Amino acid sequence: MQFVNLAAEAKINPLIPHTAELVVGAIAFTLLFLTLRKFVVPMFEKAYADRTNAIQGGIERAEKAQQEAQRALAQYNDQLSKGREEAQTLREEARVQGAAIIEDLRAKAQEEAARITATAHSSIEAERQQAITSLRAEVGALAVELASKIVGEALDDQARQSRVVDRFLDDLEKSK
Amino acid sequence: MRDLLRSGAEGGGFVPPSSNDFELPPIFGNNIYTTKPIALVFLSVILISVFFIIASRKAAVVPSKLQFAGESVYSFVRNDLAKDVIGHDFMRFVPYLFTLFTFILVNNLFGIIPLLQFPSMSRVSFPYILALSVYLVFHYVGVRKQGAIKYFKDIMFMPGVPKAAYILITPLEILTFFLVRPLTLSLRLFANMFAGHLLLLVFILGGDHLLQGVIGLKLISPFAFGIGIVLTFFEFMVQCLQAYIFTLLAALYIAGALADEH
Amino acid sequence: MANREENAMWSIFGYLLSGLLFWGGVGYGLDKWLGTTYLTLVGLLVGISGAIYLVWLRFGRQ
Repeated sequence: MQFVNLAAEAKINPLIPHTAELVVGAIAFTLLFLTLRKFVVPMFEKAYADRTNAIQGGIERAEKAQQEAQRALAQYNDQLSKGREEAQTLREEARVQGAAIIEDLRAKAQEEAARITATAHSSIEAERQQAITSLRAEVGALAVELASKIVGEALDDQARQSRVVDRFLDDLEKSK
Repeated sequence: MRDLLRSGAEGGGFVPPSSNDFELPPIFGNNIYTTKPIALVFLSVILISVFFIIASRKAAVVPSKLQFAGESVYSFVRNDLAKDVIGHDFMRFVPYLFTLFTFILVNNLFGIIPLLQFPSMSRVSFPYILALSVYLVFHYVGVRKQGAIKYFKDIMFMPGVPKAAYILITPLEILTFFLVRPLTLSLRLFANMFAGHLLLLVFILGGDHLLQGVIGLKLISPFAFGIGIVLTFFEFMVQCLQAYIFTLLAALYIAGALADEH
Repeated sequence: MANREENAMWSIFGYLLSGLLFWGGVGYGLDKWLGTTYLTLVGLLVGISGAIYLVWLRFGRQ
């Protein structure tokens, strides 16, 4: 009927819709909507999700690697400090041990010195005693001999002789 | 049809193109379902479906060129329109907005594609239908989200406003939500496509007419064609922009209906 | 929301149209009824004010 109007050269109001076009528009749009919703949107969304996953996976992997590296570094540092500590302990131990050895040696040396000194003392003492004893005998004999020479044979008697000697020696001791 | 008109105005000189140039006859006999705009709309459905199905069929993490092209359009609608405007619940509306955008864009672009050269959206019926769908969707969403009573009450009586002000603004709210929005949505698209096509017709048919005139007019005719070509590029921009605006507004209306504080 | 300003821009357009249509229409009706001539203009101005007020309510507050 529009064409009848057209033939009559009438201006058609462009704001009046055509029934046929309204129907076609609705059908076409619905058709397109259903097609895109069913076939296109899910596929694109899947690609989106995959991409997000891929990126996220990459990030996760990188994070894991970094953690691994960090752990290795920490371990290394740990070991290093442990080694250092150990060396420190060893050094300390050695120092202490050295000091102990030196101390020990010194004590031993002193002991030895003391022992030697003591031995020397005792042998000297012994020798002195011996000297005194022998001296006493000798001096006695000499004195007696001398006295008998002076006094004559008066003192031949053994008992008297030793009494005289002892008295003499005692006097000697007292006068000291 | 133009030939028919011109022959009707034989010797009467140039007949400026008018709204009658948008009334195209059926291609087959008298069947009103076989006009050029209807054929174009169906063609658009086929083109869009085929293109995007092929582009998305083997959608992979690393896209092929075709997938990249299809995905660019898709992610534009998905992220820049749906996600930015609607917010966290946007995924429900992506298929709808995606259909709106591609459908309008392709049908608009038919206006400058050689041989086709007719923007289907300059037939007001199609914008009407699309705006009607937006209208139904955003009211439906609002009613579902907030319940019919609260939804309509919030539209008519915005909370936190002095009672006296309702006299001033309630009529405006009702008019805006139930009449102005769908009307401006459809008429903006229609008028842009209609005017754009008319403009192209004026210069191209005018150039053609000049070419058939006397020598002096023949010389002017290239200028008319030249302007026609420049306008074609301009039209391309307008066609993309209108598809964007229509979809953006649909998303804004949906977002508004979803928002709690109306 | 990031699109608040954009939203406000498009809403102004719709509300202005509604305001002008409704209150302009009311003014025009009153003019016809009362035989006056200035009420249409008053109606249009009221419509514009209402639209701006409404946009402010929706997007300007808080």
